[in-house]
Amino acid sequence: MDASLLTIQPASPEPIYRQIVEQLRRLIASGQLHAGELLPSVRDVAGFHAINPMTVSRAYGLAESEGLLERLRGKGMAVASNGHATHSQSQRLALLDPQLSAVAQHARELELSADAVMRRLHKLMGDSK
Amino acid sequence: MNAVLKSAANDTAWPLQARGIVHAYEGRYVLQGVDLTLAPGSVLGLIGRNGAGKSTLIRALLGLLQPQAGEAFVFGEPALRMSDASKVRIAYVPQQPDALAWLSAAQMFDYLSRFYPKWDRAYAQRMLDRWQIVPNKVMAKLSPGERQRVDLIRALASQPDLLVLDEPVAALDPVARRELLREIALRAGEQGATVLFSTHIVSDLERVASDIAFLHEGKLLLHCATDDTKECYARLWLPADQAVHVPADALSRRRHDDGSVSCVVARDAGARWPDAANRPGARIDALGLEDLFVEIAE
Repeated sequence: MDASLLTIQPASPEPIYRQIVEQLRRLIASGQLHAGELLPSVRDVAGFHAINPMTVSRAYGLAESEGLLERLRGKGMAVASNGHATHSQSQRLALLDPQLSAVAQHARELELSADAVMRRLHKLMGDSK
Repeated sequence: MNAVLKSAANDTAWPLQARGIVHAYEGRYVLQGVDLTLAPGSVLGLIGRNGAGKSTLIRALLGLLQPQAGEAFVFGEPALRMSDASKVRIAYVPQQPDALAWLSAAQMFDYLSRFYPKWDRAYAQRMLDRWQIVPNKVMAKLSPGERQRVDLIRALASQPDLLVLDEPVAALDPVARRELLREIALRAGEQGATVLFSTHIVSDLERVASDIAFLHEGKLLLHCATDDTKECYARLWLPADQAVHVPADALSRRRHDDGSVSCVVARDAGARWPDAANRPGARIDALGLEDLFVEIAE
């Protein structure tokens, strides 16, 4: 993987380390990054994007603790070998969190109850219940 | 108790520390009791409006100005009585460098390289080239932008443990600016250098600063980690009929013409927004640093 694959938006309300983790999550979930593929070094990412290396380390550390990445001794970080076949339901559900949070916020602004939103969501997902 | 006293004494290792700095110009208070501590390897971005006192604070921190009250320490030594050993560990780039203007950049670098044991001659040469400075031109004849670039190269070539930059990016085009930010980030992250830089261009600081501090009305507001700042503060908007519920500890409040109110609020220890955020029609908006700064400084 190349450091240029990441996009950093410093002015976004989302902290940079979270932007990196979210992008890694999507790149892995979509298969653009394969299990075992090496990640660019902290220095490469920090240098390419002119961001603080500690921010990159933090992102890698978080991604490692979430099981997205694993540390290969002497080689650096790589995409975890467990692949997405073994992604638990809660891991996959977590990918929807940002969108669900936005839906929750908009629903509150529109003063809609959670039940009403849920009924709509069931319908959208083709669930007859 | 002894342990507490001991650890307080060990604080002398901080690259920069200030307690209760107060300063006024012609009766107008610019700094009204500023406390600040910089940990080794941190990059502190100091934000403030023009005239907020950023330069005054920086000069007081480095012992270039005697504050009317309070004290500053550099590597544990009183800033006003710093040893030569500490002085060669720091580099300061003022907003308008004017020292040694009768020398050329090459002459100044040659002169300074004798005082700084870690002077990086090759780096200085490379950067003069990259930033298109004529090395043999007397500095008084350089444009202000070129003069500031020379001073940035001078500061970086001395490989300081503490780098202090006052509005460093004003004279740089976007490419050079990015190069400077990269240099700051890597030196702090890899070599453990500590950096303080002031700016009113907030997006620069978001890339490299590990910590930020707002200097506003003589005080430091929200001195904390950059990431935490973005996650912990947000704008709360309340419709007119809920406006009375603005939290008492909101950092700023603004009443709009339609009676609605916006204010800046912080999460509590349990990462929850204040109760007012759950009022009917209330809205929480995440803010970038620039928006946060504007909300608070306005």
